[in-house]
Amino acid sequence: MTNISDIKNRYSESYNSMLPTLPGLELDWMKILRDDAIKQFHQDGFPDKSVEEWNVNSFKGLMDIFYNTQQENSYEIDISLIEKKDPDCLVRVIFNNGKIINIEHDELPEGVKVNSLNFFIKNNPDFLKGKIKPANEYSESRLSNIIDSRPQSIVALNAAFHEDGAIVNIDKNIEVPGYIELMHIGDYTDNTMKHIRSVIFLDKGSKCEVIENIQSHKNNNMVFTSHVADIHLCEGATLSYNRFISGNSNNIHINNVHAQLDKNSKFISNSLINSEGQARNEVRVNLLGQGSSSNINVLMMGAKKSMHETLTKVKHATKNTKSEQIIRTILDERSRGSFQGKIRVDEGADGTLAEMSGKSLLLSNDARINSKPELEILADDVKCSHGVTVGTLSKEQLFYLQSRGIPENEARKLLINSFSNTIINNISKILIKRAKNFILGEFNEND
Amino acid sequence: MTIALEIKDLHVEVSDKKILKGLSLNIEHGEMAAIMGPNGAGKSTLASVLAGKEGYNVISGSVKYLGNNLLDMPTDERAAAGVFLAFQYPVEIPGVATSTFVRTALNAQRRHRGEVELDAIEFLKLARAKAKELEMSEDFFKREVNVGFSGGEKKRAEVFQMSMLSPILAILDETDSGLDIDALKIVAEGVNKLRNDKLCGIVITHYQRLLEYLKPDTVHILADGKIVKTGDKSLALVLEEKGYQGIIEAS
Repeated sequence: MTNISDIKNRYSESYNSMLPTLPGLELDWMKILRDDAIKQFHQDGFPDKSVEEWNVNSFKGLMDIFYNTQQENSYEIDISLIEKKDPDCLVRVIFNNGKIINIEHDELPEGVKVNSLNFFIKNNPDFLKGKIKPANEYSESRLSNIIDSRPQSIVALNAAFHEDGAIVNIDKNIEVPGYIELMHIGDYTDNTMKHIRSVIFLDKGSKCEVIENIQSHKNNNMVFTSHVADIHLCEGATLSYNRFISGNSNNIHINNVHAQLDKNSKFISNSLINSEGQARNEVRVNLLGQGSSSNINVLMMGAKKSMHETLTKVKHATKNTKSEQIIRTILDERSRGSFQGKIRVDEGADGTLAEMSGKSLLLSNDARINSKPELEILADDVKCSHGVTVGTLSKEQLFYLQSRGIPENEARKLLINSFSNTIINNISKILIKRAKNFILGEFNEND
Repeated sequence: MTIALEIKDLHVEVSDKKILKGLSLNIEHGEMAAIMGPNGAGKSTLASVLAGKEGYNVISGSVKYLGNNLLDMPTDERAAAGVFLAFQYPVEIPGVATSTFVRTALNAQRRHRGEVELDAIEFLKLARAKAKELEMSEDFFKREVNVGFSGGEKKRAEVFQMSMLSPILAILDETDSGLDIDALKIVAEGVNKLRNDKLCGIVITHYQRLLEYLKPDTVHILADGKIVKTGDKSLALVLEEKGYQGIIEAS
């Protein structure tokens, strides 16, 4: 067993040796951001169970394995072997082993810019400034007014080490046709970690649909990936951000979204997660402008010994904002799950409307779920509701279906699907075909 | 007439409590049999045992259905063989459209019988025709199974399912409970429309009222786990007059 503080030191060493190869060093602010981030990570380390946001499950192999940070693409990938781009997909960005290897699109409509982090660093660094923020700005502020950076130490690690990312920049009043796909594949020959940093910026009145499609790695080595996306929606903009996260038993994936919403903007976040390994999904939304709203929909489907975690924080920072969260978890075999959901209503944020519903379905006696809804309400005139339930498949429902001639396994599928459809039905029609791994049966036809 | 269902000396326990204590009953094709009896006599237990619900422990006796041992068949196979239970309390299934549910059921049964499955269009055509026969609005095809249905709607939905699945043995478990007079009439008329010379029915009820509409061929009084008296529909009238106690004492 390697010593945890040894490992921390080794990450600092590998940061120093890797630094010359990391993008953006020519930008003073980026260099400072990286240096400060590795310092912060070295101070805080990986979050353990003493950190409130991480106190449910322990990530196996996260802090006691040293992950190679400089693993290069082990071999050339033949792009023609990757499934073809869907005709409804306007732009597809393919990441292999944490780096963009291909950006496919036909002629892009004016005002739609999708490119790599490296491209923007070279060609439009001013755009990035302030959109990628220093790691300490993501710290949690506790009710006691203590600022705690530890819950976000993965974001710090990401800020130090990120090698690439996708930048989506949509101009004023542009409605992007089809969708933008960020596809992630990988194959490593050593225990490896990769960090991806993306920015999505929608100018006033624009509209866009993005899918982040994280596929299972092929390797037998442990792979730890972190994706951090900073999202800014200007007045009246609408973003549907969909993440489909798969993974094998050797994958640890930690996905952080920070969305900031101006006046009358709308953020829809759909996450479908069915990793066989360990996956954590964090969505933080700041409703900063009046009339802004967010919908967070999450479906976690665990089996074998997988572990899925979702953490949400929706902050109502001003008057008349709205949020809804629907979380559905289905766990089979020995899988583990956790949902920590928070609604925070700042002082003076009257007229807030916030709802949260977390339901879990346990299909096995050995599966475990932990659900923790939290409300922090500092305003008077608000309407907030939250509810979480944990249950098993209803015997009465199963018998009813079987008594009509539906065999037991089909009846179970039908009931499981009805549970997950609450989330699946939120996925837009053009995207649903990309979610096929998350649909169990053939009960989703429109009758 | 040939016998469709033959129950012989059936003893059933639920959670170690004896409920059926030697029940015997024969039902012929085309026959509508009413089973009446006081609370706790075992009426719903009989319905559950015939449909194959878990938790009902058959200690002895036999149930022959169309010549086969019914008790050996899993619930879904019984349904495919034509057994239909109209539930006293139909179960709500949120997230599943009624039409999806009925089509899945119908096609599962057809598949089991080696018949060709219906595609969406064929199914819709059949469902529309059946709904029309039962004077039901098509709106409920899209509604989630029994979710937010009124008592009357739930029972009509049961009759609709029965009509779509065209069973040979239909068990109506207190289909009249919770219905007002008008709803009762509509449900009874629905069932009457489905009667044919093959269908045999077991109508479990407390009240003579449903039988006025359904006109059973035989009436059986079930008390303390067995059939204590059998007669024609005039027995129900005697019952109305004397009460269960009077009949049980006389028998």
